[in-house]
Amino acid sequence: MGVIGNWFKERLPLSGVDLAELTNEPVPNHMRRWWWCLGGTPAYLFVVQIVTGILLAMYYQPSPETAFESIGRITNEVSFGWYIRSVHKWAATLMIAAVVLHQMRIYFTAAYRKPREINWMIGMCLLLCTLLLGFTGYSLVFEQLSYWGVTVASNICDTVPVVGSTIKQMLLGGEAYNENTIPRFFILHAAVLPTLMVMLIGLHIAILRLQGISELQFEDEPEAGPKHFDFFPDHLYTELIVGLVLMILLSVLATLYPAGMGTHADPLTTPEHIKPEWFFYPSFLWLKWFPGTFAVLSSGFIVFVMFVWPFIDAMICKITKRDDIYVWIGIAGVFMLVGMTVWEALH
Amino acid sequence: MKDSVMTSEAEKAETPPVGGDDRRSFIARFSGWWMGWGLVSGYGYFASMIVRFLYPSSQSENKNKSWQFVAEVNSFKQGDSLTFISPAGDKAVITRMGMKGSEADFIALSSVCPHLGCQVHWESSNNRYFCPCHGGAFDPKGKPTAGPPKAAGQSLPHFTLKVENELLYIKAGTRSLV
Repeated sequence: MGVIGNWFKERLPLSGVDLAELTNEPVPNHMRRWWWCLGGTPAYLFVVQIVTGILLAMYYQPSPETAFESIGRITNEVSFGWYIRSVHKWAATLMIAAVVLHQMRIYFTAAYRKPREINWMIGMCLLLCTLLLGFTGYSLVFEQLSYWGVTVASNICDTVPVVGSTIKQMLLGGEAYNENTIPRFFILHAAVLPTLMVMLIGLHIAILRLQGISELQFEDEPEAGPKHFDFFPDHLYTELIVGLVLMILLSVLATLYPAGMGTHADPLTTPEHIKPEWFFYPSFLWLKWFPGTFAVLSSGFIVFVMFVWPFIDAMICKITKRDDIYVWIGIAGVFMLVGMTVWEALH
Repeated sequence: MKDSVMTSEAEKAETPPVGGDDRRSFIARFSGWWMGWGLVSGYGYFASMIVRFLYPSSQSENKNKSWQFVAEVNSFKQGDSLTFISPAGDKAVITRMGMKGSEADFIALSSVCPHLGCQVHWESSNNRYFCPCHGGAFDPKGKPTAGPPKAAGQSLPHFTLKVENELLYIKAGTRSLV
């Protein structure tokens, strides 16, 4: 062991103590509570997605003629194919839920305020990337929902003034769904968006480490005493336990509710009952309520407001001389999103 | 060599910069701008090539409209309809509304919802075309009666029809081979 250790030490001048110091950061005491570890949860699920996604890509064939059949083969013939695909699907669902919960925790504790505005905006980019990964993911199956989801999404792009038509053509690789479309969505899902996410997550964590985690003081915590604990190994153990629980949860969900196969895409028939995945229910309902261009532009405006929220919040605080208005706006927003999701789920 | 450098340094110290800028800083700035322009134009052109590569070529999307045979007029009874798909992928629902024997008897509506492109279908019980995606509805002549298409005033597009020698033709998209 000593010989091997020395061999490495001669080539990598970094001791275990150095490594611990480099990776260590003081973690605020509130992170000892389980519900305050939501940032690591989507990161762990993202790793699960990369591993299962690479495995699925070994068998998936991205073309209109072969996509549906190859997923059928993964699900029904390949050893543990059903499990890998179901874990991929459930981890996507949980990842979106975890990202939303993490964002809510940041919002309601006002952790986006100065000096953390940039990290909030990077977080917004990560939220959008996660949603796009979810959308491009279920578009690859080439079932009815995939085909009509892509058709509707490309026509949503088309309603954007000036650049809409170009974006639609670039996305589809033609004027309508064609043989170029699935390869484009596959490249977006398996290469472009994950690479972008890796870079954004790296930046997100780097800024977090530079600024430190925003600190919260709970009423039941003593004023005196240490305010922090070590990342290594204390918080790492917490994250390992979270990861283990997630793997158990994913396996249970994948076994009890495995990913199924819908009906093969039919460009001539839109099914009588068609809905996107649950995380798009609010935008689906929004599109039903309002005519095309207004619905799309107003959705874009809402996303823009979320994006620059730290600056809007600072202005609200300055004008009203109150710093709790964001809570009421947040509660209204959450009620609206949850209400729209539940409404659409029940109808 | 060292002396000459020292001399020029000494000269520089003695001569005050003209207009706040000397020749060396001008050349440095000029070459910096020149290099920046080169980088921007080089990578910019590369980016434009990528965009043009990703943008579908107009040749493959060349779409012309022409008259295409649909069916014999007498094969339709009043109220009958059929779905027609042109070689370019245009989808039309053609319905016979009268029995005069001319094109005025027929109505050809696009079956693509003008809202966001889903397929509408005929609901005979409600006497309307219905789009299941976002709940758009249209009367038998294609006028919007409910949902986002009504709010935006979007009707189902019409195709032009003609009758010649008791044969029904539709003007719809074809895809050229060259």
